[in-house]
Amino acid sequence: MNNESAPGIPSATGLPRYQPATGGLAVAVRGLWKKFGDKEAVADLDLEIAAGSLAGLVGPNGAGKTTSLSMMTGLLRPDGGQVLVNGLDVWADPPAAKAIMGVVPAEVRLFERLSGEELLEYSGRLRGLPAAEARSRAAQLLNVLDLTEDANRLVADYSTGMRKKAALGCALIHNPSMLFLDEPLEGVDPVSADVIRRLLTRFVASGSTVLFSSHVMELVEQVCDHVSIIDKGKIVVSGTTDQVRGGKTLQRAFIDLVGPRAHDEEVLSWLGSSSS
Amino acid sequence: MARLLVQLKLRLLLNALHSSRAAKVSFIISTIFAVLLAVGTFLALASYRGKSTSVDLTAVIFTVFAFGWLIAPIMVFGVDSTLDPSTLALYPLRTRKLITGLLAASATGAWPLANVIGLLGVTVGLASGALGLIVAVIAVGLEVLFCIALSRFVTTSLASLLRSRRGRDLAAFMIIPLFALYEFFTQVVPKAAAEGKITAASFTGFDSWMRWLPPGLAAHAIQDASDGRPGLAFARLGALAAVIVVFGWLWIRSLSRALVTADTTTQAARIRGAKLPLAGLGLRGAVAARFWLYQRRDPTSLVYWALVAVITAAVSASSIIGHNRHPTVILASAVFGAAFVGIFHANSAGLTGPPFFLEATALSRSRDLRAYFSGQNLALCVIGAPLVIAVCFGLAAAAGRPGFGIEAAPIVLAGLGAALGLSNLFSAVLPYPMAKRAGTPMLVAAQGYGAYRIGSVMGTLAGTAVAATPVIIGVVQTATDSDAIRIGVMWPCAAVYGFALALAGVRLAAVAAAGKMPELCQVAVRSAMT
Repeated sequence: MNNESAPGIPSATGLPRYQPATGGLAVAVRGLWKKFGDKEAVADLDLEIAAGSLAGLVGPNGAGKTTSLSMMTGLLRPDGGQVLVNGLDVWADPPAAKAIMGVVPAEVRLFERLSGEELLEYSGRLRGLPAAEARSRAAQLLNVLDLTEDANRLVADYSTGMRKKAALGCALIHNPSMLFLDEPLEGVDPVSADVIRRLLTRFVASGSTVLFSSHVMELVEQVCDHVSIIDKGKIVVSGTTDQVRGGKTLQRAFIDLVGPRAHDEEVLSWLGSSSS
Repeated sequence: MARLLVQLKLRLLLNALHSSRAAKVSFIISTIFAVLLAVGTFLALASYRGKSTSVDLTAVIFTVFAFGWLIAPIMVFGVDSTLDPSTLALYPLRTRKLITGLLAASATGAWPLANVIGLLGVTVGLASGALGLIVAVIAVGLEVLFCIALSRFVTTSLASLLRSRRGRDLAAFMIIPLFALYEFFTQVVPKAAAEGKITAASFTGFDSWMRWLPPGLAAHAIQDASDGRPGLAFARLGALAAVIVVFGWLWIRSLSRALVTADTTTQAARIRGAKLPLAGLGLRGAVAARFWLYQRRDPTSLVYWALVAVITAAVSASSIIGHNRHPTVILASAVFGAAFVGIFHANSAGLTGPPFFLEATALSRSRDLRAYFSGQNLALCVIGAPLVIAVCFGLAAAAGRPGFGIEAAPIVLAGLGAALGLSNLFSAVLPYPMAKRAGTPMLVAAQGYGAYRIGSVMGTLAGTAVAATPVIIGVVQTATDSDAIRIGVMWPCAAVYGFALALAGVRLAAVAAAGKMPELCQVAVRSAMT
């Protein structure tokens, strides 16, 4: 949730602020800040995600989604700020925080020379699971993710959708209470997307929390119960999906908030004519 | 079309020149080598004048050039966009027009020009008389045309394969024989030539079979014309032209097919018994299992191991052959072989690349990282120790002094422990992103990180040599003792010493890495592995 003002006071956009559900916060980010050279990728970002929610973080390209998620998951050191995941400070006690998290990055680059089954087992054993348990969970996850038939194929030969599903399996195998996903459905076919969507819904229904970034508004609108919009490294608005939409489609609300990028279309006057 | 594709090729070359400093340096070095090739080949061919074996030597050089044209495009596939027909598949182009364009594009650039200039050395070395000169010029033209047609046919036929994982893997392995050949020509051939074991006469009789190959036809046509047999000369040139036409026709067919054939998805291989081994060793076992599988399945890893073997052999190769043998150099081979096992792995995060995030999200504590580094060392040691020791024994046998194998083994064990410990340490304190350069399966330091690479290479090499010194002294001191003492005492002592060095490296590296996992992760993410 945007933390620029006190709860209950409307945000700068006029939208009501999201009040965290009972049961506490799964993610609390305060004053997160990251600069790359002269560019402020993330500028004093505040965000709160209630436990048990399926939250979306949306924003245009270059808004700071991936940088923010990398800092929240302990993979990129911030220049300032604090990240709490289920009350554990990610940067003060990384091992404890990492133990309860699962992460799927935007560009899924896995160990290509392992088979899907080996990859999930490796992920489980890295997380401290006994080999037998890791194998058992890997087989179950591969089944749910519809990858059983391809379990013995090298990941190098997997399609984009299969890689995303395998990466999700890796992120879930140690049963985390908090799952971070960066563009989980980008480049994924509708069937695989449905498998991932159902798994996430089931995961959240068990009381766990999911935060995923995307710039596909329709998807976020369908799946997420909470949405935060990020632009230029700051959270512009945060709340339940209905609150953020404000009676419009999320796409419209997003464009209204972030602002359309106008271009001079006169220069393309030739486009669409039958002559070349 | 020909003009357009030539312009495209020139534009691609110019863009490469302007894209980055590394590309500019690479372009300049490539051009210098092309000039050297042109001048060197011209002088070599010219120097054969008057020799009885000049036609044999010319045929050999023509064949080597054809072989080079066959191999090089497979290795640099993806660099030259004009090589891949799929880049042109979307345009409404007729195949015959396209062929003309691609042929012209192939003949454009410093290397094709260097080929023509270099091969024209036959006008001095083999040709005599006006007719001989005319035929020589025609033969060189046809030879280059043959090289291009052969190269384009093979590249086009393999285009869909080379875009696949297996094709790229296949291309990666080609560096091994090329590297071995390079070492052979720089280490063994000069010494053999200096001792008079390789002379021009050594090539006598080569043409008994080579004369029937297209490059041999070109070489013999020049000789026939020079000897006053114009009919035979033109018959040979005609046969060569016919071969070019056949390859051109095959190329057209292949291109027509390639333009309308979708990328072949790799025939996916299935892994038998897809369970990770070493289940009982916890995190250490999991990491060791992952590294072990990668050493077997990843072509880059296999290439590194092959290079370790070649380097180990090359250090001593020139000293154990010939009249003046110095088999003691095998001990240096042991140090270099062990050191290079560490050198090739002295940047764990960068070498692992983006998948390292999976490990970074799970590992943070010093204890976990100790398991990580020691697991990695376990897998590398299981392969590295027997490999380097076996090569040392092979060298000792080749030198006729098997005892040097027994002396080299403890040096390998100690050196390997030191090299692996140092590689862990450098992985933690001097990580840098890696990049894959076209034309080689080996990873190189990303632009701007060359000094890091040099630092870790020199550090690992020097550290290994220093750490192995006590064992080298011990080996020399016990050189006259019985094999039972040398094997029964020196080997276990060296193994324990090497283990202690590796353990120290693991512990120091784990402490250093524990505080900088986010930085290691960023290094890995910035590594480009494809």
